[in-house]
Amino acid sequence: MQWLIALDTNGDPITSCRLMNIFRRKGVSIVTLAMAARPEGFSVIAVAETPESEVEHIFNFLRRVEGVQLVTYYRHEPLGDASFVFIDADADSSSLARFLQTFPESKLIFASHGKYLLEIPGDRKPRAVSLDFGKQEILPFTRVKTSIPQPELVTAQAS
Amino acid sequence: MGKQFTGSEILLESLRREDVEVFFGLPGGVVLPLYDALYSSGIRHLLVRHEQAAAFAADGYARVTGKVGVCLGTSGPGATNLTTGLTSAMMDSIPVVALTGQVPLPLIGKDAFQECDTIGITMPSTKRSFLVRSAADLPSIMHQAFKTAISGRPGPVLVDLPKSVLMGTAEPTYPTTPGIEQLERIREWTDEDVERAVEMILESRRAVFYVGGGVIAANAWRELRELAELTHIPVTTTLMGLGAIPSAHPLSLGMLGMHGSYATNQAICNCDLLIGVGVRFDDRVTGRLKDFASLAKKIHIDVDPAEVNKNVRVDVGLVGDARETIQALLQALQRRRGEGKSPAPPARQQWLQRIESWRSEHPLTYDKYGHSVKPQYVIETLSHYSAEDAVVSVDVGQHQMWTAQFWKFRGPRTWLSSSGLGSMGYGFPAAMGAQLAFPDRQVIAVVGDGGFQMTLNDLATVAQYRVPVKIAIINNRALGMVRQWQEIFFEKRYCDIDLSFAPDFAKLAESYGIRGVRVDHRTDVPDAVRDFLSDREPRLIDFWVDPSENVYPIVPPGASLAEMVVEPPRVLVEEEALDDLWAV
Repeated sequence: MQWLIALDTNGDPITSCRLMNIFRRKGVSIVTLAMAARPEGFSVIAVAETPESEVEHIFNFLRRVEGVQLVTYYRHEPLGDASFVFIDADADSSSLARFLQTFPESKLIFASHGKYLLEIPGDRKPRAVSLDFGKQEILPFTRVKTSIPQPELVTAQAS
Repeated sequence: MGKQFTGSEILLESLRREDVEVFFGLPGGVVLPLYDALYSSGIRHLLVRHEQAAAFAADGYARVTGKVGVCLGTSGPGATNLTTGLTSAMMDSIPVVALTGQVPLPLIGKDAFQECDTIGITMPSTKRSFLVRSAADLPSIMHQAFKTAISGRPGPVLVDLPKSVLMGTAEPTYPTTPGIEQLERIREWTDEDVERAVEMILESRRAVFYVGGGVIAANAWRELRELAELTHIPVTTTLMGLGAIPSAHPLSLGMLGMHGSYATNQAICNCDLLIGVGVRFDDRVTGRLKDFASLAKKIHIDVDPAEVNKNVRVDVGLVGDARETIQALLQALQRRRGEGKSPAPPARQQWLQRIESWRSEHPLTYDKYGHSVKPQYVIETLSHYSAEDAVVSVDVGQHQMWTAQFWKFRGPRTWLSSSGLGSMGYGFPAAMGAQLAFPDRQVIAVVGDGGFQMTLNDLATVAQYRVPVKIAIINNRALGMVRQWQEIFFEKRYCDIDLSFAPDFAKLAESYGIRGVRVDHRTDVPDAVRDFLSDREPRLIDFWVDPSENVYPIVPPGASLAEMVVEPPRVLVEEEALDDLWAV
């Protein structure tokens, strides 16, 4: 089953290395991966194949990794209602453009190297997306789990 | 501009502010500035003979105190030698801060002398790691390191210290918040979750507490005991949980799992409610997973959300600090008692009687009447004559399991074992660390002849500092557990388990200035043990035990707890071949 995992980490690249190592150890099969730098850290999204029975454990494992600030899990919904789409446009940005023409009010959550995660307004049905576009690179998702943003443990105070 | 301090001075001041009294390490090139500052710092440092011992000693210190243990290695090999100890601490959730030297910042990535990617190498063996880039960053990083090590699910944290940072200067700004006193307590459960758990406890007739290292880490043993006594629910512990309830307590079932007792494993197989507290449902405990406590509903209390439903699906998961969660259960049960609902229904007495009958049917025992020195007898004797608050530290293998089975545990934080990683060579240096934490208590390292040969070079350390660790070698002249498995599961095709070519450990100890004796007659054991424990000096006894002795009961790999083999097949008892092979 396909899932989209979105993670925000602190600015230490070793946290991203830990994530990759966790994916390897936990048998998360990565289909697509993208990473972007933010001012205060990194964002990672991965479309992955994982048995549904493993999702809760991996979600909980990821959210307690030191340096991981936010974890969100999205389930692929090829037929059902979905509020998010992942677009793997690669070098071709036309699919994103066409999508935004259809859903101009969409909110961009992540963008890096031709990979986009967008939230679609509640009154629009992304099922229509798959019908309209019918492209493998546009995948509808539903958000199923999200962690509470984790601040860094300690802020040094002057003595 | 205020007073400038070197990175080394700031680091040592940070350690002092984190209440570090002693740390374990071995100097080398890039950490020379730190050792130069240490010279006049007043912080105690124990010079070990191998960095692995430093990591194990820090682990032992942490287990007995509940504080963070600290170890240090120089760059390159010093750092890589720490990794086994860090991995063991990671597996057992032990708070350790490892300090490693690193080449100067401009040389990182240039393959400089004694450079290695310490952060990369230790990444899966640590909870978090830091590369310090400025002396000014040291106070906050050190504070974060200590807090991370002991917060939530504890674990090891590594701080990599480039030489240029240690030699650089800064005007330090130290965090004001105390390091470990004001930890955030994790609590993800709701009152409704607690009520669901309470209902399950009240409804159950054959409940069992299954308790692990999380209870020790959370200092929750008093609350656990109160809850067990309130509900009359018996308590079994994992290897990590030994000491959470005294062995002599009427509700104590001892250890469960692969080498658990018949009664305990029967209780697991027949219980209708299993309440796991600070446990991982690991394979050595569960046996064949699908059959583990298959008749029972399950409650799991754990500080780590990733442990709940990892191996076994549970009915109620309470993610939170064990102490706070047990307190919530206690309050809810007491409230229900006030409403006329007994937390200990009468059926529990029948359940306890049934367990007692299993215990009578197959008690933990061994041949007590032979001439040879039985290892179980040595363990019982050591336990019998040891002080009330003695600490016992073990390696990994048969002697570890016999100690887990036959030692009379009197309290928490008295048992040191590399349980998850199962690292041979752990017992002796961990005992050293525990002894440094409590110089006046008895600390006994019960080790195998195989494991001891991995870290015995630190005999020099205990001799140099007169660390009064008592070393009891359970010497069967073999890698005993491997031999046992080859005997039982590989048709006695013994391959590379013979350790009969070894030093005379007693004479070796003497060569370090440590009194050592060999005991190879059963009748000599009590007097030898009494003498061994009678002073405040490091001592060594080399017990030459029956080399054919095996650990029973045993759950064969892949079998369920119900399929445990309680005692050796008759043919093995009668076999003399091994006695001939390793004749005393």
